[in-house]
Amino acid sequence: MSVTINLDGLHQLTSGQTTVKTVKVKGNTVGQCLEGLVKQFPKIKLQLFDKNGKLHNYVEIYVNQESAYPEELAKAVRDGDELHIMELVAGG
Amino acid sequence: MLSKDEQEKYARQVMLKGFGLEGQEKLKKARVFVAGVGGLGSSSATYLAAAGIGTLRIVDHDRVELSNLNRQVLHWPADIGQTKVGSAQSKLKQLNPDVAIEAIEEKITRANISQLVAGCDLIVDAMDNLPTRYLLNKAAIENNIPFFHGAVYGFEGRALTVIPGKSACLRCLYRGTIPEEAFPVIGVTPAVIGCIQATEVIKYLMGIGQLLTDRLLVYDGLNMKFTEFKIKKDPDCPHCGKPAKGKK
Repeated sequence: MSVTINLDGLHQLTSGQTTVKTVKVKGNTVGQCLEGLVKQFPKIKLQLFDKNGKLHNYVEIYVNQESAYPEELAKAVRDGDELHIMELVAGG
Repeated sequence: MLSKDEQEKYARQVMLKGFGLEGQEKLKKARVFVAGVGGLGSSSATYLAAAGIGTLRIVDHDRVELSNLNRQVLHWPADIGQTKVGSAQSKLKQLNPDVAIEAIEEKITRANISQLVAGCDLIVDAMDNLPTRYLLNKAAIENNIPFFHGAVYGFEGRALTVIPGKSACLRCLYRGTIPEEAFPVIGVTPAVIGCIQATEVIKYLMGIGQLLTDRLLVYDGLNMKFTEFKIKKDPDCPHCGKPAKGKK
């Protein structure tokens, strides 16, 4: 299962780490795909997950531009799917 | 009733399909609450005033600082140290003297929010922090007031329209919060998003077009892309879900 993760919405999280916009990973669920992302960019782990491995509540996941909530990490993905990872934005 | 001057002033938008003088009267009768007259509020309030919204109730507790001027275009160097609502009121009245501006210098809190939004037909969320945005969202749901969300960071902006009882709300979209801190932003970003919010307000009042409901619009100025993300009403949403009563 090849899935593309779009990182455009991770402006704060990836700053200083990478300017890569998309990453190809393999996985059957959102969680497995994020594991693949963390393997490529280990520093992202703490920024996506808390110490118990739970996704931070300021991180939003979209699969093919639809919110993955509430399944989130457990949500199944298929070959060719696209994930967007975005964090909250609150500035005015 | 529109005056002759008003009919001439709005002639080009009255020509729009679905608008007409009757539509312009709808704008004139509307009272719109603009929460915050910073970057987003400068943009949205300017275009709402220009379009002829009858009353704008602008609420902000800050004073103008030099570092605001790259993006908060209602405020000019001579306004530094003045209240933002006073500064905004003065410019908006110059732009369109036919618009009533209710300027309220107050911090929006859980205690005063119901009173602040009372009598308003719509709420424009032009705040700079999530806790107050959540307060506004909840008040909008509780009082059945359409809510027009906008937010920015750097070259990125987001917009969402919430129709209480019908579409996903801000709390269906977001569950967490982030620290309140100075964030990077270029003035053109809130200009774009504030204009989108104003567009949504006008469309809603006119009953035309397709609103940004259940769709989060993400504007990426760096790559010049607009992307839509589908969102759904959350049945367990603490604001608009079934068990909402008594929740934060």
